Amino acid sequence: MSTAMDYQQRHLVKMANQIAGNIPVRADVPERICAHMRQFWTPVMQKSLRQIAAETPDSLCLEVHAALENL
Amino acid sequence: MNMVQQFDPAQVDYSQDLGTPGAESDVMVTVHIDGMPVSVPEGTSVMRAAAMVGANIPKLCATDNLNAFGSCRLCLVEIEGRPGTPASCTTPCAEGMSVHTQTSRLDKLRKGVMELYISDHPLDCLTCPANGDCELQDMAGAVGLRDVRYGMEGENHLDRGKDESNPYFTFDSSKCIVCSRCVRACSEVQGTFALTIAGRGFGSQVSPSEQQPFLDSECVSCGACVQACPTATLQEKSVIDLGVPSRKVKTTCAYCGVGCSFTAELRGDEVVRMVPDKQGGANEGHSCVKGRFAWGYAQHQDRVTTPMIRDSVEDEWRPVEWDEAISFAADRLNAIKAAHGVDAIGGITSSRCTNEEVYVVQKMVRAAFGTNNVDTCARVCHSPTGYGLKQTFGTSAGTQDFASVEHTDVMMVIGANPTDAHPVFGSRMKRRLREGADLIVIDPRSIDLVRSPHIHAEHHLPLMPGTNVAVLNAISHVIATEGLIEEAFVAERCDMTSFKAWESFIRLPENSPEALAEITGVAAESLRAAARAFATAGNGAIYYGLGVTEHSQGSTMVMAMANLAMATGNIGRVGVGVNPLRGQNNVQGACDMGSFPHEFVGYRHVSDDTVREQFSTIWGVNLRDDPGMRIPNMLDSALSGSFRGIYIQGEDIAQSDPSTQHVAAALTAMDCVIVQDLFLNETAKFAHVFLPGTSFLEKDGTFTNAERRINRVRPVMSSRTGFSEWEATCALSEAMGYPMPYESAAEIMDEIAELTPTFAGVSFDLLDRLGSVQWPCNDQAPTGTPIMHKDRFVRGEGQFVTTPYVPTDERSTRKFPLLLTTGRILSQYNVGAQTRRTDNVIWHGEDVLDIHEADAEARGVKDGEWVEIASRAGETRMRARISDDIPAGVVYTTFHHPISGTNVITTDNSDWATNCPEYKVTAVEIRPASGQVA
Repeated sequence: MSTAMDYQQRHLVKMANQIAGNIPVRADVPERICAHMRQFWTPVMQKSLRQIAAETPDSLCLEVHAALENL
Repeated sequence: MNMVQQFDPAQVDYSQDLGTPGAESDVMVTVHIDGMPVSVPEGTSVMRAAAMVGANIPKLCATDNLNAFGSCRLCLVEIEGRPGTPASCTTPCAEGMSVHTQTSRLDKLRKGVMELYISDHPLDCLTCPANGDCELQDMAGAVGLRDVRYGMEGENHLDRGKDESNPYFTFDSSKCIVCSRCVRACSEVQGTFALTIAGRGFGSQVSPSEQQPFLDSECVSCGACVQACPTATLQEKSVIDLGVPSRKVKTTCAYCGVGCSFTAELRGDEVVRMVPDKQGGANEGHSCVKGRFAWGYAQHQDRVTTPMIRDSVEDEWRPVEWDEAISFAADRLNAIKAAHGVDAIGGITSSRCTNEEVYVVQKMVRAAFGTNNVDTCARVCHSPTGYGLKQTFGTSAGTQDFASVEHTDVMMVIGANPTDAHPVFGSRMKRRLREGADLIVIDPRSIDLVRSPHIHAEHHLPLMPGTNVAVLNAISHVIATEGLIEEAFVAERCDMTSFKAWESFIRLPENSPEALAEITGVAAESLRAAARAFATAGNGAIYYGLGVTEHSQGSTMVMAMANLAMATGNIGRVGVGVNPLRGQNNVQGACDMGSFPHEFVGYRHVSDDTVREQFSTIWGVNLRDDPGMRIPNMLDSALSGSFRGIYIQGEDIAQSDPSTQHVAAALTAMDCVIVQDLFLNETAKFAHVFLPGTSFLEKDGTFTNAERRINRVRPVMSSRTGFSEWEATCALSEAMGYPMPYESAAEIMDEIAELTPTFAGVSFDLLDRLGSVQWPCNDQAPTGTPIMHKDRFVRGEGQFVTTPYVPTDERSTRKFPLLLTTGRILSQYNVGAQTRRTDNVIWHGEDVLDIHEADAEARGVKDGEWVEIASRAGETRMRARISDDIPAGVVYTTFHHPISGTNVITTDNSDWATNCPEYKVTAVEIRPASGQVA
């Protein structure tokens, strides 16, 4: 994996975890993360995050993993 | 006596000087002016009533944006049944009053007054720069003065020197008639109180501060005094150099989000001066140093007016014809598309450009490029406003017009510095504050509003950077727990389920001021007092800036403010509201015009089949239903090799975006960078195609300001590039296979109106007729909507959102113990591309670092000396300034000069919802600079 790829992936991880930590309404957090990503993330970004979740699951919080199940 | 003429209020020409301000009253009184009846609101002066019926009474000290003063004694009238000859400017109309403005007695008195004035005035009219544009000259003619019995030999002021220290205007005291108009303009209109009348009687003279040169005084060069001056005492240097203007064009300023209306006054194709338009809805005749004077960049020698291309950024630029540049750019972008797919290219729109220019860029990206990879510079400023206000109120815009502040009882100013960044509105705020409105300032810095002449913030909450949400939550906690919620408003207007969830959350002890004091640095009692003041004062209005949005919780903070406004019932009427102070002239418009990658024009998501079908039909092309990339995602993808070509309209991302090294690396990695701008900016160093842009003086279109006001931008001079910017964009689109054959900017607006419900009634014809309109403008609101959410929110019921405080990852540490925050200064604008190319550099030639005395002493930093600033992102250098405007632990700087490299040290942290960079919080360490400093 190149350094550039690392940077992009690290940014996606940071964004996803930050969304999970900041979604204002704390009920149904995975669904809200999912809705947020559908609304604002490109399909390629969503796909990359799925790949990250599979390859380095520890990098993402539980809510993001739960969100990815429905994304 | 003319008894047959009837007064018709619709025929009054309000663009003329009516002498005194209008009065507001439901009670009308009828008076007779030289026999003509006129009905005016109670409190209207005789002078104004007379002017309304065309009986212009001679005057010198009166003008209709200043309160009547009654000093020049030229406006005397006779009133039947009353003794003497009262001044018409200070005499209010009374029912049944019969006024005579022209009698032999008055003629004699006025002529005598004028004789005295002229006896102490240089008789150099033929060589005076104001010849033909001088009220003193006009009045001498109006009263029929033919000679001066006293001669010119007596004691006089004719040998007084000229103050030429200000770069934009001169002060020639020998021509001064001491009417005090300049002094009053500085006080009443601008609110700076830099001018006074020094001395007494015959020795009276206008004095900047304590008889200092203008440049050294407290003067902020807004130009209000110059505009008010009835002689050539205060005169624009451009008029002295070029002569009195011969033609006029109304247009709109291209600096901040206030969007001031100006009359450009020219000789031929050369601008002589910009004069604020008193009928401008946003500024009502006022201006600041940027809009009034700093327009010379349009003719600056650095301006590039010829297209240029180069194969590689290592090569020299090659000037070419437009056709060649467009073909070169199209070939490169098409090649990238063919090799890497449509998502390998994208575009960025500019808030400095018109709505029409922005619209065609996002249309080109979506229709010609075939992707939704379009974003805008609002990404780095007010994208959280768009997100937060849409979630809570239903639309991405401020709720009020600027005039609303005149009815505000308490202002809450958060993360904004209006007197520097939005100075014309700042003056309006100060006027209301002088009238007695309360002020709450939530800001780490002691901005000017905290304490300035006749202004004092009763509540200044100097919070630590990054703790906005905690402070707002604590304020709402006080309001919720002390029974201050406006229950009736909430029950009638808001979604109760969301309200109850929010109320339960906000009442939690963890949100109390006491619990959060250690985090926020704000004393609990101070915060409680501010909360009570906001909830109980009557009309509470929130004004905020980038100190709110440019945080990791920027969107959360916007929603927290919306919660507060709804909970206190401060929404949906005059005097209240949630009001973003937009950074650039057309941030609101650029966002409205579909610049975000997930939305079409009018904030409608690209996945909405009905909306997309409408656009597909009108545009004649299939459109994507998935969101495109934001700017930071485009840059990330460039580094990974999947994004390779970008069209950048009027934005200098290599200077303005955070983490400069990252931006530079991403731009370097691309195969095709197209920059459209006035100058070869920092981003152009990485570009392959440079398309010359047009200044606002050459544009034809519209800007939309922070109050949703759509203003016309009219071409004042011919385009220096031979093209309108939208024509260049259309040419590129056509070269890429998607023609956009517009004939005019008006035609583009017609298409916007056809596709956008909130713009349905907007056209150039309407704007030319009304001056401006605030959207929504449609069948329901044919003349626009000054106040939004009056009877219901755009989304129906107002939505409360719980807003837990989540600390930013960017925290002070042992290694980086100080928090750096950034902002603007009055004389400069954003990255300085325009203002650095004007005489405004006299006030701010370099960015400096403000540091508290204790922090400076602990590090051996001395005032005026160079320091090194290090963050985990990078290092830069600038001079230090010891300042007590900031608390210990915080440092502050501006980002107007590229050499400062402010964004070398800002990090890649961003708002969780919108990726708006966290410019306002960077952990840094400061040390005295070592070695040689250039």
